[in-house]
Amino acid sequence: MSDIDDLVAQLAREAAPVQPAPHPLMLSLQWMGAAAIYLTVTLAVSGLRPNLPEHLHSPWFVAELVALLAVFIVTSISAALLAFPDLHQRRRLALAPVLFFAAFLLVMLYAWQADNPPAPLPVHSFECTVSITLMTLLPALWSFYSLRKYASTHPGLTGGIALLSAFSVGALWLRLHEANDSIAHVIEWHYLPMLAIGFIGLWLGRRLLKW
Amino acid sequence: MVTSNAENLVADHDDNLEALMRQSLTGDQRAYATLLQATSRLLRPFLSKRLYSASEVDDLLQEILISVHKARHTYDGNRPYKPWLYAIAKFRLQDHLRAHYADQLRHAEDFDELEESLHEAVTEPVMSYESISGEVQKLPEKQATILRLMHEDGYTAKEVAAKTGMTESAVKVAAHRAYKVLRERLER
Repeated sequence: MSDIDDLVAQLAREAAPVQPAPHPLMLSLQWMGAAAIYLTVTLAVSGLRPNLPEHLHSPWFVAELVALLAVFIVTSISAALLAFPDLHQRRRLALAPVLFFAAFLLVMLYAWQADNPPAPLPVHSFECTVSITLMTLLPALWSFYSLRKYASTHPGLTGGIALLSAFSVGALWLRLHEANDSIAHVIEWHYLPMLAIGFIGLWLGRRLLKW
Repeated sequence: MVTSNAENLVADHDDNLEALMRQSLTGDQRAYATLLQATSRLLRPFLSKRLYSASEVDDLLQEILISVHKARHTYDGNRPYKPWLYAIAKFRLQDHLRAHYADQLRHAEDFDELEESLHEAVTEPVMSYESISGEVQKLPEKQATILRLMHEDGYTAKEVAAKTGMTESAVKVAAHRAYKVLRERLER
């Protein structure tokens, strides 16, 4: 009997009934639901920005929120697809975040142009990045813990996308909490750090999502 | 001869790998064994094309079968089995090749060290080129020519490379090998 036959016999003996993993859309819905609860609770504790009602009449603010929400939804779906070895045979959908990030970038560029005369810069700077990062920790831990139960064949990309998804929750929270109108500040301290977060996610994914 | 349902499934149609996997997920050990055997038959030629030795193919095939076993909960039986399987196989193959080349790099001679050793005398200082030219002539023609040009005619490795149409690195490596052979012969 060859080694392969031995191994096949051994694996077959270990073949207990297995519960198939949930569909990636269900998985991403679970994450989105949990993130919605988390966002609601944190906003209830920290409070909404006082000028939110009037800002909801500003088309670029609404466009920014919608684009950020879309990034969060698409990255959640993409991370869930990437958790499966074959991306659940939905490769295009798994790579959709690229398009949505491009759309988000475009929205921010237009919002920056529309910010004329520019709103005054707030006195703080990096504190926003730190706050978003702290808010990101819990969703990031949860998504990595959840992703480790699957079998990603793109661990780096999965980690990067999952961390960006978690970071977008933190970014949404801060935009709804902080009374700040300076787009330059928002781009510099809220969204540019996303690049670094993506790379950190890539690195973490390669280490934590091995199987 | 009586064959099991699982074996019939595989014999009938390739598509039935999906059905076999569905049965396997319910804990059907015979279906699972048949599926894994069919899987290894599918993958062996795929790996053989990409790896040099049969033992490497066997090792990696075992690793892939274990990965299929670990990841079987990510397959629901409703989508084609082969793309799922090949995604795992390619992932493990990449891992294997990455480790293989990293290992080769670790064991490769550091070229800087090699260059340093080229400046060292490989024979006793009293030993001139003329005194060992007999041994040099016994070397392969290319190595003998390189040593003659470098030590009798006084050309640098770069100049020898230009003369022989080789790269400078190739000249240095060939010279290094020739020194080794000479040292062994002269130390006997």
